[in-house]
Amino acid sequence: MTSTLHRETVENRVFRASYLALLVFMLLPLFVVVVTSFSQAGRLAFPPESYSLVWYGEFFESTRWLRAFTNSIIIGVGTALLASFLGVTGAFGQELDTDDSLGAILQPLVLIPLLIPPVVLGITLLMYFSEVGLRGSYASIILAHTLWATPLVYFVMRSVFSRFDWQQLDAAHDLGAGPVRSFVHVVLPNVKHGILVGALLAFIISLQEFVMALFLSTPSTTTIPVLAWTQIRQALDPMVSVVSTFLILISIGAIVLAAIATNLEWLSKQLS
Amino acid sequence: MSEITLHDLEKQYGETTAVEDVSVEIRDGELLCLLGPSGSGKSTTLRMIAGLETPTSGTISIEADDVTDQPAYERNTSTVFQDWALFPHKSVLENVAFGLKMRGMSKDERHTRARSMLERVQMGGYGDDDPTNLSGGQKQRVALARSLAVNPDVLLLDEPLSNLDKRLREDMQIELREIHEDLEETFVHVTHDQDEAFTLADRIGIMNEGELVQVGDPDEVYENPKNRFIEAFLGDTNFVDAVVTRTSSDAVHVDTELGTELVLPTDAEPAVDEGTGLTLSLRPEILSIDGETGRHEPAGKQAVATDGSAHNAVTGTVENVIYRGSTVRYSVSINGSSMFAERTDASTGAHAAGDDIRLEWDGEDVLAFSDDGTRVTL
Repeated sequence: MTSTLHRETVENRVFRASYLALLVFMLLPLFVVVVTSFSQAGRLAFPPESYSLVWYGEFFESTRWLRAFTNSIIIGVGTALLASFLGVTGAFGQELDTDDSLGAILQPLVLIPLLIPPVVLGITLLMYFSEVGLRGSYASIILAHTLWATPLVYFVMRSVFSRFDWQQLDAAHDLGAGPVRSFVHVVLPNVKHGILVGALLAFIISLQEFVMALFLSTPSTTTIPVLAWTQIRQALDPMVSVVSTFLILISIGAIVLAAIATNLEWLSKQLS
Repeated sequence: MSEITLHDLEKQYGETTAVEDVSVEIRDGELLCLLGPSGSGKSTTLRMIAGLETPTSGTISIEADDVTDQPAYERNTSTVFQDWALFPHKSVLENVAFGLKMRGMSKDERHTRARSMLERVQMGGYGDDDPTNLSGGQKQRVALARSLAVNPDVLLLDEPLSNLDKRLREDMQIELREIHEDLEETFVHVTHDQDEAFTLADRIGIMNEGELVQVGDPDEVYENPKNRFIEAFLGDTNFVDAVVTRTSSDAVHVDTELGTELVLPTDAEPAVDEGTGLTLSLRPEILSIDGETGRHEPAGKQAVATDGSAHNAVTGTVENVIYRGSTVRYSVSINGSSMFAERTDASTGAHAAGDDIRLEWDGEDVLAFSDDGTRVTL
């Protein structure tokens, strides 16, 4: 059977195959992690000899893990709130600034934390927070994570605000709404999905951040990645897989939520 | 009811001056049209009255209160925007009620008032609709209702009709005019469309390059334009270059590019010297076409009354004929220059390309401008 394949068809197939291979290569570790979390044995092996939910039971009985889980959620939510506030107000302020002098300062400034290695940031912040008496607090880790999450929220909001019809803000002012009320009644309803996406991004960033949290956390504020790391150093048991599975699920959940939010916005635009 | 005073208003954006030296008193209850080409500063002036732009210098007062430093949300002005700027996430009724909500009116009260405003603009049945689903004309009505609902001291209209098609625009002009007469409120309407300004305005303010060139009644600015820009902007006209050859006690004689000497009567001793360059404006409506006599004379031949009377005429060849619905426009070549004349009744005295025709006019109707564009009163 000889069939001449067009060059384009071949290219397409090769492209798809490579893309699929890349995807499999990237997702395989996740698959391994999830499978091993259902292992019965106390040793991390793939594939597991037998399957059970025994390590999930262990997780829910372990106060250390539950504590770390709660800490991660508290810090994640705190980071999401703070980074959203800073990112949204920063991007909004820059839009209102007519001669763009604010943007010239703000844009590079916001990016700086992303360019500094997290180890350097972690050590520096540890010294700084010890000095001001914030060491060991949730606030210290929330602030550190906010440094990373704010640029992302900021750039998401820049793009969201660029699609906003600013004449609406004029109309709101014109009809008697002051700065706060015009933001709440007119700007917010138009950009709320964008803010949700930004906040979820910030939450995911915080949830998985390890290096700065390692420097800044104390036993009472240990986050999941930090506890996982300390546990792995002692024993490589399937508990790490269970915890990782939870992290993966939370991240996927957040991404799905963000996708739904953006699609709702897209959908409402399509209908109009 | 109010009176607005703009005093030496100026707005600069960095190095560019958008509005310069604008001073005008807007009368209580009048409909003033700010007319000018795009970029002439008319919208910026309107936005300064609304408080959406802060003047670089100068003052704005409404009802004798200086509001220059008052933000838009504290001024009792209301704007209908060019793209209407309806809130897409609110229903039509909520849009109209928004200003009343901001003024602290109870929900029942503001919804009742919003409904009556929607009735007023013939949008009564659309309260629950999503504004994004409305047509341009409907959006325009809702925007108008939203602005009128707050009972503003002055209604500002920033080219709200420019995005509508011609037919709808003309209907809306009439309707706007009626609403204005009904409410007896002060309206300031910005437009680049001369016809719209003449249809709507009690007075017209003509802007060019950031300056308010002339303010006056429509017939006044049309018949007595202050400079060449206004004459050109308000309607199609023939500009003819001329040089003063001779002055007498009651007339100015000029040599024109048409190859003929024309006589412009004056009321008093002429204020121009011999040799002065002028631009004459011959509007199509002052030209009468006389084909019968024209046909017997060769093209370009001088046919001017030399008795010093106001009667002037030239003869030329029709180059092309354009039917423009109610009028027919002839492009006429006269001694190498081109002029146009119009006939309103297409059926009588039709001329074809190649015909010789004679254009006549009363010298008193000709306007003259000096080289720098200012009007020369003869």
